[in-house]
Amino acid sequence: MSMGHNDPRSVPRKEDARLLRGQARFLDDIEPPAGTLHAIFLRSPHAHARILGIDASAAHALPGVLVLTAEDFPHLAPLSPDLPLAGFAPVPRPIICTDTVRFVGDLVALILAPDAYIAEDAAELVLVDYDPLPAVVTLEDALADGAAEVHPQAPGNLLFQNRTATEGFDAAFAAAAHVFREDFSASRVATVSLEPRGCLARHDAGLGETTLFSSTQVPHLLRNTISTALGIPESALRVVAPDVGGGFGMKASVYPEELLAVAAARKLNRPIKWVGDRQDDFLASSHARDMRFGVEMAMEADGTLIGFRLDVLANAGAYPGIPFGSSIEAGGGPRTFPGPYRFKHYAFRTRAVATHTTPSGPYRGVAAPVGFMALEGMMDRAAAALGLDRAEIRRRNLLVDADYPFINASGIRYDNGPHHALLARALELSDYRGFATRDTDPDRLRGIGIACITEQTGQGSARYRARGLLRIPGIEAARLKVEPDGSAVLFVSQTTQGQGHLTTFAQMAAESLGIAPEHITVQEGDTALTPYGSGTFASRGVVAGGGAVITAAETIAAKMKRIAGHIMEADPADIILRDGVAEVNGVPGLSISIEEIARAAHAMRPIGMPPGETFGLDTTQHWDQPVSSVSAACHVAEISIQRRTGQIRVERYAITHDCGRMINPMIVDGQTHGAVLQGLGPVLMERLLHDSEGQLMTTTLLDYTLPTMLDMPDIAMDHIETPALDTLGGVKGVAEGGTIGAVPALVNAIAHAMRGYDINIRAIPVRPETLLRAISTKDSR
Amino acid sequence: MTDTQITLTVNGQRHSRRVPTRMLLSDFLRHELRLTGTHIGCGHGVCGACTIEIDGATVRSCLMLAVQAEGAAITTVEGLAGEALHPVQQAFHEHHALQCGYCTPGFLAATIELLRENPDPSEAEIREALHGNLCRCTGYVNIVHAVKRAAELMRA
Repeated sequence: MSMGHNDPRSVPRKEDARLLRGQARFLDDIEPPAGTLHAIFLRSPHAHARILGIDASAAHALPGVLVLTAEDFPHLAPLSPDLPLAGFAPVPRPIICTDTVRFVGDLVALILAPDAYIAEDAAELVLVDYDPLPAVVTLEDALADGAAEVHPQAPGNLLFQNRTATEGFDAAFAAAAHVFREDFSASRVATVSLEPRGCLARHDAGLGETTLFSSTQVPHLLRNTISTALGIPESALRVVAPDVGGGFGMKASVYPEELLAVAAARKLNRPIKWVGDRQDDFLASSHARDMRFGVEMAMEADGTLIGFRLDVLANAGAYPGIPFGSSIEAGGGPRTFPGPYRFKHYAFRTRAVATHTTPSGPYRGVAAPVGFMALEGMMDRAAAALGLDRAEIRRRNLLVDADYPFINASGIRYDNGPHHALLARALELSDYRGFATRDTDPDRLRGIGIACITEQTGQGSARYRARGLLRIPGIEAARLKVEPDGSAVLFVSQTTQGQGHLTTFAQMAAESLGIAPEHITVQEGDTALTPYGSGTFASRGVVAGGGAVITAAETIAAKMKRIAGHIMEADPADIILRDGVAEVNGVPGLSISIEEIARAAHAMRPIGMPPGETFGLDTTQHWDQPVSSVSAACHVAEISIQRRTGQIRVERYAITHDCGRMINPMIVDGQTHGAVLQGLGPVLMERLLHDSEGQLMTTTLLDYTLPTMLDMPDIAMDHIETPALDTLGGVKGVAEGGTIGAVPALVNAIAHAMRGYDINIRAIPVRPETLLRAISTKDSR
Repeated sequence: MTDTQITLTVNGQRHSRRVPTRMLLSDFLRHELRLTGTHIGCGHGVCGACTIEIDGATVRSCLMLAVQAEGAAITTVEGLAGEALHPVQQAFHEHHALQCGYCTPGFLAATIELLRENPDPSEAEIREALHGNLCRCTGYVNIVHAVKRAAELMRA
């Protein structure tokens, strides 16, 4: 049972009632305007082929059907995400394929019909003549000598590469008492937001304005990208994210379907609606975490870390994603790897590899879940080799208070982090010491695993510039408006997909305004209403969006204090805003309501404004988080394996967590629970499978199995709130740490359960048949 | 395409329509009756987001044709609450058992059916009964807590 539910800060969410009553408005719930054409995208059935011709005559013969191909969009320029920095291959992504397809799912044609059923009929009638070409599917295929090249601009199929070493690295490694080596790998996974992607584009020819509703995490980036690609002024384009049924990073990319819907709506002057189905989603929404980590770890004789050498590979798929580019996973892997440990020497080589598969993109934790499987897997290996308890080897290397502020080996600043306390408390919460006494069932092998992790949150503009991602501003903004009746509206540049922004941001603004959260309405996801910003991804909400909210609320609070001081003839510095009134400190009984101040600010009271003050309570404030904020956690997973079947069951799960000062602990816990699910699935079952030709074999939820209520344990959770020093309000980001911790904790628990068997657990998912083979080989001996 | 006349009752209201014979029940509810609270997560009966109640039993509306519901009495998420939330909705709200809310209507329908058949389910019985519904946001942790709470509310 989690602890957050009883905390007074855990106010129930403002967003719930309409979701519970079926009154929400997800993309497909928007009533299509009269004359809407329903779109189906015809996708390549080949991983790599030349398009010799497209015959759409039979489809065109159906009433009301239109088939559009690249020829119909001659002015659509390919998209290119990355700055011309060293290490990046300048590979563009065509919005619709012209002569070559590069993955199963690549877009070939747009089929439009008066209803979605007829569009499906028409799609079956379009004949495309393909000349199949050799395809590279896996990292091995793509890196082999003489491999087919996915793009001529990326020799050797390298989309991005980087390498670096700290000074004195080789000498430090040469002098190490121990060097441990291992290769870790993860299968490719899909995000599977329960709502697939979709969009609705509507053009008003008279006004020259186009509105795009899209199930997206990044309305402003989407608008900016469409504007550039289609040559439409941003001012004539409005992007609205309605209720979004989960995103988890996958909907933080801009996709060709969105651009084509806008282009078609403008070309035909008809509304265009596309709602992807589950197969569209598996084929054409970004994949993730198809990665390898080759790790060498150097240690002193007593288990003190000296450093790491990494060789990281990420299968980036057929094109760089927009806007995160080809380096999202390959760059993120080494950047997030160092975790909560003290070591100085670090060298890595990392490569993003092009293959004829669906492009990879951001998914909760990006590369970090796999990176921490490698890091924490190495800690366990070292503990075994040195005869140390697995908690003890971590204690010898975790950062301590005296280390802060600490700049880690990849240049990330840590302002604080209670890593020892998190570990100690997690061991108590999980009864780590009592594990042996619980080990009784002879039919099950039991194991317990620890993971100490960090989560880099709240990246600002400097991080995105350093990564060469000019399309991502990294800033956020908030406009706060107090109405004449004293209620407030907060417009935030981000957008929510279930994270509870409408509640959390209202709580944050309420702190300085003295207006109750229920009287603060939060609006997001509409470029016409909200100020420009980046969007919701990378655990930036409470740090970057929250920074803008706090700044806006403090700006308005200061003005309300000046007005209140003017009305009550008191020093604004003595005014306290709370519970809907402005009080004068030290003068009991002297107060006026916030409503009174708001009316005065809107020229609705006999008394005017203070000299030099403008009317209105309305401000827009931007926030650029100067340095990333690092959250931390310790996960302890206890699992059992049925000897007869190799099936894994998660028995107990404990998390201790620090995300700085919490605004709403109930929401923080909920984010963490959900994040654990998205680490547990890829460890126990999830994997996208391709055949050797690049055909995706897992395109339904029957083939791609997701964890259910029978797979997920209850979670014991405790927080050690350590207010951040580098952010506004002491907050740190949250939402990815659960995934980053679950993967290593579960993998280490499985490896622990299999101690004594001839098996090396270093790849996920861990399949029952793999375990069963090792178990039966030994047990039958 | 052939059309067929159907008559059915949804949330207590009688509807009589001509629909294409091949139209899915989920599309009929969502796009013909504009009851968009029933959501489509997979279209092949695995995720449970489209779960509704037909003649007292839960059904995946994406696996049925509208014409198969001829004469049926259907309850969708829009029919659960009156002025106040249904106790199951109330428990989901109190226990933060929803995040994006997309799977929620299906979970509500499955929970109401469970609690009708078993007013005091154990945690294992809750997990068994609801494991056919997928949620990607909550990790199910708070859904289990909410179902226990809903059972209390409904017994009270």
